Amino acid sequence: MVFAHGFGCDQVMWRFVAPDFEVDHRVVLFDHVGAGRSDLRAYVPEKYASLRGYAQDIVEICHELELSDVVLVGHSVSAMIGVLALQEAASQGTPKMFGALVMVGPNPRYVDDGDYVGGFSRADIAGLLDALDSNHLGWSAKMAPVIMGNHPEHPELAEELTNSFCRTDPDIARQFARVTFLSDNRADLADVAVPTLVLQCSEDVIAPDVVGRYVHGAVPGSTFTQLAATGHVPHLSSPEETTAAIRAFLTG
Amino acid sequence: MNPAAGEPDPGAQLGRLLEEDPADLYENAPMGYLSTLPDGRIVKVNRTFCAWTGRAPDDLLGVRFQELLTIGGRVFHETHVVPLLRMQGAVREIALDVVRMDGSVLPCLINAVEVRGEDGAPLLVRATLFEATARRRYERELLNAQRAAEESEGRSRTVQRVVSDMAAATSVADVAAVVVDRGREALGARGAALVLVEEAPAAGVPRLHTEHSAGMSGELLEELRAAAIGQLALELAQGVRTVVLDDRMRTERPTVAAAMIADGLSSLVLVPVTADNRRLGVLVLGLGSGVRGDLISLDEPEAVRTTGPADVELLWTLGRQAGQALERARLLEETARNAERSAFLLEAARLLASAADVAETVDRLADIAVERLADVCAIDLTSEHGVTRPVVRHRDPARQGVAEELRQRQLPQRGAPHPAVQALQQRRTVWVPVLDEDLLQQITVDERHLEIAHDLDLVSLIAVPFVADGRVLGVITLAADSRRGRFTAADVEVAEQLGLQLALAVSKAQRYELDVRTSHTLQANLLPPEPPEVGGLRMAVRYLAATQGVEVGGDFYDVVRLPDGHVALAVGDVVGHDITAAATMGQLNSVYRALLVDRPAPSAMIDRLQASWSLLGLQRMATALFATLDPVNGQLRIASAGHPPPLLLSAGHAEFLPVAPSRMLGAPPAPAPAHEWAGVLPAGASLVFFTDGLVESRSADIDTGLAHLLAAVEASDTSDPDELCDRLLTDLTGVHRADDIALLVLTRT
Repeated sequence: MVFAHGFGCDQVMWRFVAPDFEVDHRVVLFDHVGAGRSDLRAYVPEKYASLRGYAQDIVEICHELELSDVVLVGHSVSAMIGVLALQEAASQGTPKMFGALVMVGPNPRYVDDGDYVGGFSRADIAGLLDALDSNHLGWSAKMAPVIMGNHPEHPELAEELTNSFCRTDPDIARQFARVTFLSDNRADLADVAVPTLVLQCSEDVIAPDVVGRYVHGAVPGSTFTQLAATGHVPHLSSPEETTAAIRAFLTG
Repeated sequence: MNPAAGEPDPGAQLGRLLEEDPADLYENAPMGYLSTLPDGRIVKVNRTFCAWTGRAPDDLLGVRFQELLTIGGRVFHETHVVPLLRMQGAVREIALDVVRMDGSVLPCLINAVEVRGEDGAPLLVRATLFEATARRRYERELLNAQRAAEESEGRSRTVQRVVSDMAAATSVADVAAVVVDRGREALGARGAALVLVEEAPAAGVPRLHTEHSAGMSGELLEELRAAAIGQLALELAQGVRTVVLDDRMRTERPTVAAAMIADGLSSLVLVPVTADNRRLGVLVLGLGSGVRGDLISLDEPEAVRTTGPADVELLWTLGRQAGQALERARLLEETARNAERSAFLLEAARLLASAADVAETVDRLADIAVERLADVCAIDLTSEHGVTRPVVRHRDPARQGVAEELRQRQLPQRGAPHPAVQALQQRRTVWVPVLDEDLLQQITVDERHLEIAHDLDLVSLIAVPFVADGRVLGVITLAADSRRGRFTAADVEVAEQLGLQLALAVSKAQRYELDVRTSHTLQANLLPPEPPEVGGLRMAVRYLAATQGVEVGGDFYDVVRLPDGHVALAVGDVVGHDITAAATMGQLNSVYRALLVDRPAPSAMIDRLQASWSLLGLQRMATALFATLDPVNGQLRIASAGHPPPLLLSAGHAEFLPVAPSRMLGAPPAPAPAHEWAGVLPAGASLVFFTDGLVESRSADIDTGLAHLLAAVEASDTSDPDELCDRLLTDLTGVHRADDIALLVLTRT
């Protein structure tokens, strides 16, 4: 089972969900290049100018670890990266690499397009990029952590946060945001040929219900599960419900 | 302490102030304060926040905090704040924008902590908000300044790269690629094309051609080209200009507009490419909705991107740099082309000079032409008999069959519109840069001819007449197929140079051939016929012209049967191998025949010729042997005028007859009469008369030659005259003879 984190933080996001699957699965967690503790030197702007670059990485990880019949769990943008990873694996002649896909809060196109509702206008995305800039201002490897808890009693936690969690090079974060929110992968959904679960949160501003329904309709034979969990990160806000939904899908 | 009545006690006042109501402190604190459930629903909010946002507390309670944020803020909240609170229990100084009741935005910095239960489950989130309008404005300015600096730096880098790339580009194609790529990069353009002004073949509208393009469809380029014709100068004069796809364009230039839409472009930026005010062309940049890759553009589909002054300045620089680099590359290419052309023409001259005759000359020229200059080369020659077409060559040997068919379809006759005919008649080069279908229909003589032209995919023609001494010798027709492309003015120049060379070579070859023909004709007339049949004698003669120099020789032989049954024999050699020698020989032969009427003895023949030499006006001296032979009894008389003696082969033994030579004919007459040798030619014996060409060579003197002859005759072991002639020629002469040879062998039977 491979867990792919979404836009924002890193693999630590899965800490309340992933351990539960370790009893019956080999669990693989990773940071996308540019996020978490990944090697920033591996960030090649040209490669990561499209979600396909990230998809290639997942396939490479699976090749390297000699994985097959993988349950790929992708959150947010990684749900779409997962769709592309399936294509990539098939084009490399290893269609059996992935056995199932779990899409947590997927959105194949954030920008509204005619009748299609993605939830955002272009101006919204521009505002989002600005919001990112506001919070990345002054960030750099040299600076003291901007986002960290004041936990003198837990220096290990502060250390963790200082070094990795949710901290990204601002240029990479901005580029990843562009790629995340300006991609259009609706046409790729029809290619998904493995059992797929669409996990839809409630009141999710990033992946509204209507989008989840759209994805469910576009992925052939997919399962749709509506979560009571609100927001965009059910594996943090409602890990039990999230875990149960994935389990139900895998056993069902 | 005893405070006096009426006097304020500062300590008590401060105490009262500090004992303010905690509720008031919460409600009116100089910061927003609110508590939410883990899902963001507000359960408590202070008055300050309400006042900031222009909302009543009741309007806020139960609302999710995220919903108060701008969209960007909401996304950031979901993707960063929520995870961080869950992971680390607190966040500090997060920049978020709160939307006020009236829709205006209040920039805030937020600190928040998550209150957790015993089991670690989240119970509540407490957040404080500080207004950060000024700080955020300052940060925004800082960021903008940083961006501007980055962009400026980016532009400098672009210019630097352009300069260094251009310096490395040596061909026009390289320069064009750099300009297009860098221009596209600099503006983030969807497509770009470098359109250059071609040198006009004649006065008129200059042609435009796309030197290099990327990301632009051929349709759009063609539309732009068509639109630019006629107003090119105007366009170029306008500097960096943006043409927007707007309603006006849609109405006035619907086809251009359609092509732009098809290419996803919303505007075109035209950048003049100039060098020292010479306008060389335009760099066209196509801007559109759509950043590179497959990402959605942030620009609204209908929005038009504008080009800022800094970009305009950058593009100006790019245009000027490109212009200079183009000029330099053109100069380089021109120099290289000139060198190549000179080498080519030199090689052509060398090949043509070594051709032996007209046929070989035109053949070689055709080879040379299709090797470098053209795909098909046809050469027509004119003569008094009309036009002939000795050669048509195709570059590809596999297609030579078609070329051959073209050769056999003789040139159309006078008055036909074919460029070759025109060139012949007008005595000037005819250049058809673009051979279109209409013209092709006109210049072909029939269906098949047209078919061949189509089959060969010919797109351009040059016909160059070649003229020497005011005489049109013929015409070279060169054709290019679509792979090679149309002929340029430079090609025409090379073709004309080839024409000049061919004119010289052909006229030289024709003159030479005329000389050779003349020489052969004269010689054929001058040389006596085969010896007559004479009873009791068998004879054979050989005459070989020298292989080098003029072919006609001054050698002769003569055999005449006299009325009394005797035979008069003569072998001679006029000095030289040229026409004068041949003419002298002819005259000498005639005079000799005339003198034979009186049947003088051989020595008397020499004396008479010597005596009348000055009257005859013969210009050259000559050597000769004269003899009379009675075939019945073998009585033989011989006299020599400076000529090698004949050789007698009798019973396997060979010897030179001791004929004492008198002076050469034409030398001052000797005081005494000529000597005469008399003897008998035994039956079965052979006599060999020869000229010195048989025994002289460059590598050995005449005595050695005579010794070789003697040995060869003895070794021949034959008395058959024909056989003996062949043996001697085989044994004594090589391929290259320096002199003519006359050989006469007779055997008395």
